[in-house]
Amino acid sequence: MSVKRRKFLDYILSLGFTGLVGSIIYPALSYLKPPKQAEAAVNSVKAGKVNEIPVNSGKIVRFGRKPVILIRTSTDEFIAFTATCTHLGCIVQYREDKQQIWCACHNGLFDLKGRNISGPPPRPLDPFLVQIIDDEIIIAKPKRMS
Amino acid sequence: MKIDKKIVISIFIFFSLIFVSEIFAGDSPAEDFQTDECYKCHLENDALPKDFNKEDIHLKSGLTCAGCHGGDATKDDMDEAMDPKAGFIGKPTHEQIPSFCGKCHSHIQYMRKYRPRIPTDQEEQYYTSQHGMLLKKGDQKVAVCSSCHTSHSIFEVKDSRSSVYPLNVPETCNRCHGDKEYMKNYKIPVDQYKKYAKSVHGIALLKKQDTGAPACNDCHGNHGAMPPGISSTSFVCGECHVNNLNYFNESAMGKAFSENELHGCQECHGSHEIEKPTDEMTGVGEESVCLNCHDEGDDGYIAAKKIYEELKSSVALHDSAKIQLDVVKRIGMDDIDIGYKLQKAEQSIIKARTLVHTFDPEKVAKETNLSLKNSKEALELAQKEIKDAQIRRRGLGVATFFILLLIIAVYFKIRNIEAKGKN
Repeated sequence: MSVKRRKFLDYILSLGFTGLVGSIIYPALSYLKPPKQAEAAVNSVKAGKVNEIPVNSGKIVRFGRKPVILIRTSTDEFIAFTATCTHLGCIVQYREDKQQIWCACHNGLFDLKGRNISGPPPRPLDPFLVQIIDDEIIIAKPKRMS
Repeated sequence: MKIDKKIVISIFIFFSLIFVSEIFAGDSPAEDFQTDECYKCHLENDALPKDFNKEDIHLKSGLTCAGCHGGDATKDDMDEAMDPKAGFIGKPTHEQIPSFCGKCHSHIQYMRKYRPRIPTDQEEQYYTSQHGMLLKKGDQKVAVCSSCHTSHSIFEVKDSRSSVYPLNVPETCNRCHGDKEYMKNYKIPVDQYKKYAKSVHGIALLKKQDTGAPACNDCHGNHGAMPPGISSTSFVCGECHVNNLNYFNESAMGKAFSENELHGCQECHGSHEIEKPTDEMTGVGEESVCLNCHDEGDDGYIAAKKIYEELKSSVALHDSAKIQLDVVKRIGMDDIDIGYKLQKAEQSIIKARTLVHTFDPEKVAKETNLSLKNSKEALELAQKEIKDAQIRRRGLGVATFFILLLIIAVYFKIRNIEAKGKN
């Protein structure tokens, strides 16, 4: 075998080896980088610290693929429901003035038990469980839903 | 002591019968109903009412035949049991039925025993209804309590066997209102049910079995059923479609409709045949309802055209982004953010469609612009995810190439070493 051919073979071998190492290391490093989103199928999410939500206010929290409305009532209770209106799927919001859950699309209203009380929504909002652990608000799927 | 086998079997059968009768005792209409002389006699003579049902709510609550029809149910002699002196009323006449039922149902103290929350104004309401008013005038064909509720198969409204269970209401009303022969003297249409069944409300209730969808009584009332007047039609629709009514009433169109005594919602959407609204109902195309009143070039024509264009452009971009979202889902990339953006875009489209009732293109445009913004962002995100997937695929190709290259190179290297060793 000529020296030229042997050198070429060594060159190809190094190239192949380098490429293989690169193919192994790159996905491994990508995996170490934390994902942009939480897992799609979630059973509970952290919704922030208690003091971040004022009394008589609400906020929308992402629960996997679904938005959930978290409310701190005027009586200082935490409650949560699916934030998707049961009429046409708009995202509902908390109305401090009415102390009710309101859908801006068609003026649908839900009470703080999630029951549809006015407007076109045909069904109540599904409830979620809210727990406070070490001042952290945890929203979880109710057992029947999980 | 020797016990006769026959005696043992007889005792066993006797106790078994007692046991079985105890089990089925709970299924009897009322605990003492089997001993009720009215029931016994009518059963023996095959003379129970055609619609008699042992599960009837009154029977289950212990109200037997005599409870409504009077008489003495403890007497097995027919004359004694059905003696007017014993309070026997018998079968009430058509015009007697509302007060016959109202005897208990209008009695607050009496009804409180059975259903503390039940309304007791049904009879009063009934006489304000079209049915009740005609009955007072001597009409023998109009609906009375039993026409809708039946006489002897009455169930709670929330019981799906009830003739007035939400899903059954249209059929119950249609028994009379869909009968051309029966209704011929009233000079009102008899195709309401057919129209309703094809409408957006009818499909929701009858096909999708959505009990939240309106049936006849939700618009016309229950016991006080009346056709809504011109001024009240919009309020009927506005019971559920709150924003639509508010926007309409605040608009210049609302005032013009009111001045010209036009039905607010009905003029564009119809009544029993209300179809799912389309964007094409605005605009100036063939399906436009705006052109029912407006002519080419007038302000309404221009506004209708603008509103349609706003809606159409936002729907088109939303749909394009939705197609890209489906691609992202199919290739298994992250679709959560895109989904959220698209939900916002869709929400703005829904709001814009409601704002159509302001008849103001600028108000509609505020929402359609928001929708366009969110759809555009969703589209960009989707395209980025698709590009990422393509990069990954190419990366896999490159890695495979290097692996193959290495395998081939190693093969030749081994051959080279072996050849060197032989030499």
